[in-house]
Amino acid sequence: MGNYYDLDDILADGEKVPCRFNMTVPGLGYLEGNPGKQIHKDSKVELPFWLAQILAICVLQEESGQSFVDIAAPEAVSTKVLNAIKTSSTSVDLHKLAPNYYKFIERWCSMYSDPDATNTVMQMLKERAFEINNYASNLTKGINNEFLYSLDEFEKKLYKQTSESNKQMRNWLRD
Amino acid sequence: MVLPKQLQGNLMPSEVNFLGENELVTILPRYSMKKMQLIGTKIPALRAMRREQVPLWVALILKSQDKCSIVPPKWLNVVYLKDKYDEEVRNPNQFSSLPWHWLEISKILLARAADDLTDPSHQLRSILQDLREIRLVKSRKGLKELNESNIVLNGLSLLEINELRPFVLTVMNKLRQLHDTNNEQTAADTNGNDSDGMADDDDYDDEGAYV
Repeated sequence: MGNYYDLDDILADGEKVPCRFNMTVPGLGYLEGNPGKQIHKDSKVELPFWLAQILAICVLQEESGQSFVDIAAPEAVSTKVLNAIKTSSTSVDLHKLAPNYYKFIERWCSMYSDPDATNTVMQMLKERAFEINNYASNLTKGINNEFLYSLDEFEKKLYKQTSESNKQMRNWLRD
Repeated sequence: MVLPKQLQGNLMPSEVNFLGENELVTILPRYSMKKMQLIGTKIPALRAMRREQVPLWVALILKSQDKCSIVPPKWLNVVYLKDKYDEEVRNPNQFSSLPWHWLEISKILLARAADDLTDPSHQLRSILQDLREIRLVKSRKGLKELNESNIVLNGLSLLEINELRPFVLTVMNKLRQLHDTNNEQTAADTNGNDSDGMADDDDYDDEGAYV
């Protein structure tokens, strides 16, 4: 779905999600640090999203509808985090949660339809974008502010673009 | 492309300024000149003391050679602008209508033809600054209402839109991508395939690349 050449897309795909294996798979032991051994049924492993997605979509047997792994909700979409976002979107440290938070949410939500999460994240984007715009248009308002450290990669790009355009405008008005 | 990314989808203020120089202004020539047919514009024959409309850049050249004086546009005086300012204060959710290039033209005229203006330039400058600031505050406030599908920019001028564009486009693109994840899912549920949704998504990403 994403852009093939976009590094952030690739990084977002590599975001780890907790998975539980539904069957014993020979030779996959290296995933939990046992190279050459098998991975047991019911063992919990953190897999990158691109791998987990395939394993969770592939169905083992037609009738049971069971797949290789079951994906549990990672921290980024957990109720706890979503509630924190609803309470105060600007004080959540997105960069710590997932460096490419929005891209990951996009992927997650297009796999598991979750209108509630999407709406929460869209609302958060609006509020945070407003705040980013404030910071970007005001140079004196502390560069070392904590909020600016909590931006995810997309928001950083947004901040840079906005402050760049504001800077050009200021320079033009001055001369 | 070789152009830096932020210049690909957006104009620099100086480029907008350049576009503004194509606007017509009325001048009062002091010399006669034959008419000229250029590729883009036609410059009418000039006769001394007969008002003519010419592009701003021609007016500036003539002005710098002292061959004309520029008649200030009807909106560039303190009374009119003060009126507009009051209008801005009265309607906090609306922009008053100003010329498409008001910022650029007023700046150029103040710098190059201050002696032709009807009001002292410091008064004009301060009222223009007030107008710009109140409109800036309004557009900032309006950014809270961003959504994934549309934005109303009634009354904003080219330079003001240009200033907002990088921010607004990026945020709206992201909002749309997030919004689409819901639709994609419902489309996939109803049709049993999501190839349409995927194709759309590719298109969007192409667009996104220009932003």
